[in-house]
Amino acid sequence: MKKIVIPGELLSEERKRLGGNVFVSDGKIYSRVLGISDDENERATVVPLEGKYNPQIEDTIIGVVSRVIHAGYIVDVNSYAESFIPRSALRNGELKVGDVIMAKVTDVNEVKEANISFPKRMFDGDIIPVTAVRTPRLIGKNGSMLELLRNGTGADVIVGKNGRIWAKGGDLELLRKVVFFIENNSYKSNLTKAVEGFFK
Amino acid sequence: MTEQNVDYKKTKKRLDGRKMDETRPLKIDVGVIPNADGSAYLEWGQNKVYAAVYGPREALPKHSANAYKSVIKVEYRMTSFSVPDRKRPGPNRRDQEISKVLSEALSRAVFVEQFPNTEIGVYVEVIDSNAGSRVACLTAASCALADAGLPMRDLVAATGVGKAYGELVIDLNKDEEDAPDAVDIPIAILPNSEEIVLLQMDGLLTKKEWEKIAKLGIQGCKDVYAIQKEALQKKFKLGEASKKDLGKKTKKKVKK
Repeated sequence: MKKIVIPGELLSEERKRLGGNVFVSDGKIYSRVLGISDDENERATVVPLEGKYNPQIEDTIIGVVSRVIHAGYIVDVNSYAESFIPRSALRNGELKVGDVIMAKVTDVNEVKEANISFPKRMFDGDIIPVTAVRTPRLIGKNGSMLELLRNGTGADVIVGKNGRIWAKGGDLELLRKVVFFIENNSYKSNLTKAVEGFFK
Repeated sequence: MTEQNVDYKKTKKRLDGRKMDETRPLKIDVGVIPNADGSAYLEWGQNKVYAAVYGPREALPKHSANAYKSVIKVEYRMTSFSVPDRKRPGPNRRDQEISKVLSEALSRAVFVEQFPNTEIGVYVEVIDSNAGSRVACLTAASCALADAGLPMRDLVAATGVGKAYGELVIDLNKDEEDAPDAVDIPIAILPNSEEIVLLQMDGLLTKKEWEKIAKLGIQGCKDVYAIQKEALQKKFKLGEASKKDLGKKTKKKVKK
């Protein structure tokens, strides 16, 4: 049975394989965050419902240039710390403050600063902010939800794991509506089916 | 307004009609401030408190950052109209003290070592007060921290206990706090481990009375914990998603 758990709630008194967002104290497993837990799962794990972006290697993120310094650019990645891109990482051209880039996280250091590379400047387009921990639902299994969004609205959509969605062209008003719906119902089941209803 | 010649041993009831081990009605709403990362609104008897959490974010000024953990910066403020006489706005000695003890209590609950070089801003504003505002603030702040999605060991549940008019009572109000023999003890625990994270005392007690009162306080905190848990869980309703949910704003509710 799935249920909403709060920080410090007892998940299991038995030994279990440990998943994310749990901690062990006196041999018992407790939740660390506000989230959803399934006690039938063989792993003790909690899917968070709220929270900021925690950078992980290989994540695709949408960043906004916040400062230009001599050696490169400081990029706001919607996380605890800002990231840096050296000028040499750009193949051509320069960036200005406010430019939107798509990049990959190549490394995360001990103070949770994300090292990003392969920056690609995104021209025009809109950014839709969402709660970072709920973005997996916007991508879906093997990108099924993303496919649905792209086909349904005809927009170019890129989901940054850091809680920013970049979109261009197509029916942006509808996209905004659907993204808002998915974000607010991310913890419910049968989401894909409900979203399909919007595009009929 | 201090009552003379009141004796709780004779009346068996408190000035406001409560039993000795009965707390004032407590109500918590979570996620009330849209711009904050996490927030809570709490009503505890006449106490009304807003708590907002921002962060973890870059610690400023830079010298306040700790390379090993996140610094929880609590700002406890009372609005000028929250007390019968006007309170001069701006931080005074009492506000600074309460901010400090709240920060220490919350630092034990949050896994601060996971966010080095950052700060977590906690802002608690007292809109109305009637004794026990620091425990109300602590209860609201810990709900707001959980709402911000921060990893925590446990919630912090707090309550006031003490002695007034010859009896040991829980959750004192202002009349009882002004009693001639009043003892006021704000106590906060992490309910799972019963670890005490805040304990202050005002007045004198015998050792026997203290042993009784500690039990009363821990039981009171656990009752508060049950309400906190319910408040956090009611924000989300599991089930199947349907198109009808579109109009409902489940994430952030703005209170009028």
